[in-house]
Amino acid sequence: MIVAEQKPLEDIIRMIVPYERVLILGCGTCMTVCDAGGEREVSFLHNALQLAQARSGEGAHTFSEHTVKRQCDPEFLEALGEKTADVDVILSLGCGIGVQAIAEYLPDMPVLPGVNTSFMGMTKESGVWDERCAACGECRLEDTGGICPITRCTKGILNGPCAGVKNGKCEANKDMDCAWILIYQRLERLQQLDKMRRYYPPRNFRAIPRPRRIMSKAETVTGESNG
Amino acid sequence: MANSLFEEKLSSNDFIITTEIGPPKSVDVSEVVHHIKLLKDKVDAINITDHQSSVMRFPSIGGCLLVRELGGEPILQMTCRDRNRLALQSELLLAYSRDIKNVLSLTGDSIDVGDHKDAKPVFDLDSVQLLKMIRTLESGIDMGGNELGAAPKFCIGTSVHPEADFIEPQLIKFDKKVAAGAQFFQTQGIFDLASFRRFMQYASQFDVKILAGIIVLSSAGMARYMNNNVPGIIVAQSLIDELAAVEKGKGLQKGIEIAARFIKTIREEKLCHGVHIMAVGNENIVPDILEAAELVSSSR
Amino acid sequence: MNVANTSYPVNRTENVPDHSLVPPCQDACPLHMDIREYVGLVSQGRIMEALQVIRTGNPFPSICAYVCTHPCEDACRRSQVDKPIAIRSLKRFAVEFGGDRMVQAEAETTHAEKVAIVGSGPAGLACAYYLKKFGYPVTVLEAHSELGGMLRVGIPQYRLPREVLDIEVKRLTRMGVEIRTDTRVVSLDLLFELGYKAIFITIGAHQSLRMGIEGEESPGVIDGATFLREVNLGLKPSLGRKVAVVGGGNVAIDAARTAIRLGVKKVSILYRRTRAEMPADPAEIEQALEEGIDIRYLVTPTKVKRENKRLNVTCIKMKLGKPDESGRQRPVPVKGSKFSEQIDTLIAAIGQAPQTPDDFGVRIGKGSTIQVDPNTLTTNRAGVFAGGDAVTGPATVTEALAAGRLAALRIVDYLQHRYPLPVKEAKEKLSGDLLPETIEMIKKIERAEPPSLASEVRARDFEPIELVYSWEQAINEARRCLRCGVGVEILFQDKCATCLTCLRVCPYHVPHLDASGAICIPADQCQACGICVAECPAKAIVLRKPFDRRQVNDELSHAIKSAAELKNKPLIIGFCCQYGLFGTGTLADLWRGAGAGVSIVPVLCVAKVEASHILSAFETGAEGVFIAGCGEQCARENTTYWVQQRVAKVRKVLGSIGLEPERLQVFALGTTTEDPVEELDKFVEQIGSLRLASVIKGEVKS
Repeated sequence: MIVAEQKPLEDIIRMIVPYERVLILGCGTCMTVCDAGGEREVSFLHNALQLAQARSGEGAHTFSEHTVKRQCDPEFLEALGEKTADVDVILSLGCGIGVQAIAEYLPDMPVLPGVNTSFMGMTKESGVWDERCAACGECRLEDTGGICPITRCTKGILNGPCAGVKNGKCEANKDMDCAWILIYQRLERLQQLDKMRRYYPPRNFRAIPRPRRIMSKAETVTGESNG
Repeated sequence: MANSLFEEKLSSNDFIITTEIGPPKSVDVSEVVHHIKLLKDKVDAINITDHQSSVMRFPSIGGCLLVRELGGEPILQMTCRDRNRLALQSELLLAYSRDIKNVLSLTGDSIDVGDHKDAKPVFDLDSVQLLKMIRTLESGIDMGGNELGAAPKFCIGTSVHPEADFIEPQLIKFDKKVAAGAQFFQTQGIFDLASFRRFMQYASQFDVKILAGIIVLSSAGMARYMNNNVPGIIVAQSLIDELAAVEKGKGLQKGIEIAARFIKTIREEKLCHGVHIMAVGNENIVPDILEAAELVSSSR
Repeated sequence: MNVANTSYPVNRTENVPDHSLVPPCQDACPLHMDIREYVGLVSQGRIMEALQVIRTGNPFPSICAYVCTHPCEDACRRSQVDKPIAIRSLKRFAVEFGGDRMVQAEAETTHAEKVAIVGSGPAGLACAYYLKKFGYPVTVLEAHSELGGMLRVGIPQYRLPREVLDIEVKRLTRMGVEIRTDTRVVSLDLLFELGYKAIFITIGAHQSLRMGIEGEESPGVIDGATFLREVNLGLKPSLGRKVAVVGGGNVAIDAARTAIRLGVKKVSILYRRTRAEMPADPAEIEQALEEGIDIRYLVTPTKVKRENKRLNVTCIKMKLGKPDESGRQRPVPVKGSKFSEQIDTLIAAIGQAPQTPDDFGVRIGKGSTIQVDPNTLTTNRAGVFAGGDAVTGPATVTEALAAGRLAALRIVDYLQHRYPLPVKEAKEKLSGDLLPETIEMIKKIERAEPPSLASEVRARDFEPIELVYSWEQAINEARRCLRCGVGVEILFQDKCATCLTCLRVCPYHVPHLDASGAICIPADQCQACGICVAECPAKAIVLRKPFDRRQVNDELSHAIKSAAELKNKPLIIGFCCQYGLFGTGTLADLWRGAGAGVSIVPVLCVAKVEASHILSAFETGAEGVFIAGCGEQCARENTTYWVQQRVAKVRKVLGSIGLEPERLQVFALGTTTEDPVEELDKFVEQIGSLRLASVIKGEVKS
């Protein structure tokens, strides 16, 4: 899941200044799950913006709200229909992908990001999300007992823990487990410690240059660029 | 044929003494110069730290050049935090060309503990990969597989954490560092000789030199602060108590005493091949420690 | 700021349908009363409304409040956790405190077809009540001198005070029901000739069954029904010093307890099975024992002989053998265990049957009962209906009331030539027991037993023994209700992102994933706390009974309207839990004492107050908002925690738009050592000074 958090209200208020009629658009998928931009948060933001406007006495925005199933597919955006007819801007509570999908779908409509897209992760407990994948494009979880050192080690190092580990926690954050201690413990449990003894050469960052595209189609597709 | 004086020293059976100097956040290097002059003849080599604790400072390579100029033996500390593989390699070329031939490969502290928390952490390589890279460079090939006009040759060391509270993964890493070509290890601060003995029992099977890290404590407060804030450091409670027992203002004196006691014991018991003294901002007391430990540099 | 001009989105919540399920209590009630609803109203201290709900489902709630055998309590799922809700006692409370005596029943006659009701027991009276309400002229014909049937001649006064019955009878008379006492109907033809278009036979089951033993006819042997009738009609039969009652039903217990009240020194009950098989109400058995009645199990009389003005009763001991057709183990005599005893009176209370005059011409079935179509209560004769004990044999008052109501509806169908369609339940039943995991998480709260007279006091006379709850007792007892069947559902499956928030926030671990990976929130486990409704990021979850949630919005807009009239006073909006607090007075004082400027939004548990609601309150111009909940007294789990989470979230917003976070406060009972009234006073003061500060700031700016 993509995890994001809503931008500070001050930022949002500042962003919408040039626009009068604001459609707050939620996303029913990842943003709902990570509490950043589902229907409830859309309503909450709606309330908060109205309150802010009433209290400051500044601004003459009118707000409307809607939540689509998924912002990152244009087919779902079709459901917006007339809802965008009377608005000056869309304040998207979708992730960065959602915002761009809207921009692509509605070429004449300004679209603002209402959330800071943060990472790909999982729910640790209610209200707590943890990053788990860095999308490095070269998955090495096979060698690391299913625990990603690139994502979960603050230094992303590949050949074991640094010397900063204390009480099994990372030097960068005392509440954060040292990924390499976790990897060690898990490999030990799986009796695969030999994997940790191996030398892992420097990463191939050629997988990273952006933007990336994945094609599972059989024939070569020509035409539009993906940028 | 040794690459450096220090490498030559390593291959002798002498008790080795190194220390380190942290460069300033300044263009005024007079204090560093003063410390180099003070120490260059009392120790076998001087490390210059590389943005220690991720705090931006005068660079390690710059400090090493000063050591060279002043006739000392420098050890270039090199972390992976701030430079990608291109920068690391080019700096090694520079170092070798200026007769800086001792390198200490380190991963580097996390950006989060330093004074530029918003910086991009690089960590293109880790310390093991850096060791391998140096050895590759020595073979005349850079990391991109391209030939060098002329190849360098270094004496390389790295660090190890013998008192880590979870030792097994550290030992694995130690093995990997040995395999990658490390010749010497300057350990993290040693505060518990029993634990260090356990480590040496393991480490002594390898043909590498171990220099025990000696951190000079200046007060109980400092010890507690390091426990809470300095990556990897675990000061034993008994030492904190010992420091706390002395009257105010005498803490540093006690710290010197403790450091000397450790050095003496290590030497007398031949626990390892030498010591690496980290005076953390009190570089001028290093001679006092050596004196208290009844050590006079044998090399000079 | 002008409150009236604020655009407040009052009804942003969707129009949510009512998907509440019929709870087990209601399902078990012969009258199908909306028990959950009135218990809920009692728990909020809304006693008048509770009485209204009760009166809607029950023609004579005051009678049921005394004598109902409360099958609802037997079905109550709270008994799986600790003990059932004391529903009957709560009804009694609502009846007494809600002012049932003052309720006027009125009915106009809008139809011409007269209906005759033969018998004035609960079934007859209920039927008369409803028919009259439907606008039909009704005549009740009663053989005795007073109305009530078994209510009058069967049930002892200590269980049902006669003035309660008299009030109901008077109410019927006022409604215009024609009453003819001392009128024994012997022929239905005559009634038809008199112009009655339909007849309801509800003559009860007053004929005691015979024991079938030697000497049963002896003087000193009396049957239970006759004995109770005599006492209830004011006679004082002389019983002597030692009385034995034969039987194990409610009549046997009534007879024994009546005997004790008449001054009999030693009363025993002989019952041929064990206590476990005794059909009488266990609570009454307990009370009988407390009053000193000796119950002897596995004993049955075999012979009675009159000697020296006393009775020599021969008994035999029994043991339990194989189960009979009723499923109970059949008692069989133990050989050679005979013994005899000298007593003064033997009361046989082993059962009763109806006695229908042959001239009625209705078909009689098993146990002398009148045969009817159970769906329509029609007999074999057109226009003749029958119900109550006359059809079922001895049963409960509530069942009789239900039969009377059904008869009224069916008679109306008959008179209007409508096809008597079976009554359909509009809502689904809640079925299924609580799972052990759910039970474990439910807070155990002791049942408050209704107060009653001490056994040594009550056995002296016929004063009613069960007393009424105090206000606080009733409210706390009502708060124990698990609100079965009004839990949540995922109404908008398409919106559900399967984010698992509900699964994680539920204090009872009720939501779970099914095999296909969809979220299930089983209705039979949900405790209706509402936490997941407020926390669902997709707004996909709703309470099955949407009123509870909509109320927050409606009440908020109401509070705002009334606040619009406030001038020059800081407006403070308080979301206050309605369960218990106001009723017990704690919070009532709290906002009364706070003086003007405080507008209350009553909520059914603060867990249902969403972050958006709080913002809305500020949006309307409130200077301060507080949330007052029951804290540790809450019958649900984690409610305060979630309120605090939402408050923290809203405070962040307040902070970022320049409002002081202290403008939002939580008051939780039991979590503070301070007096809530004082705390609120402080809060009001604080808001006042914040307002002053901002006014000054505003002046400086301009």
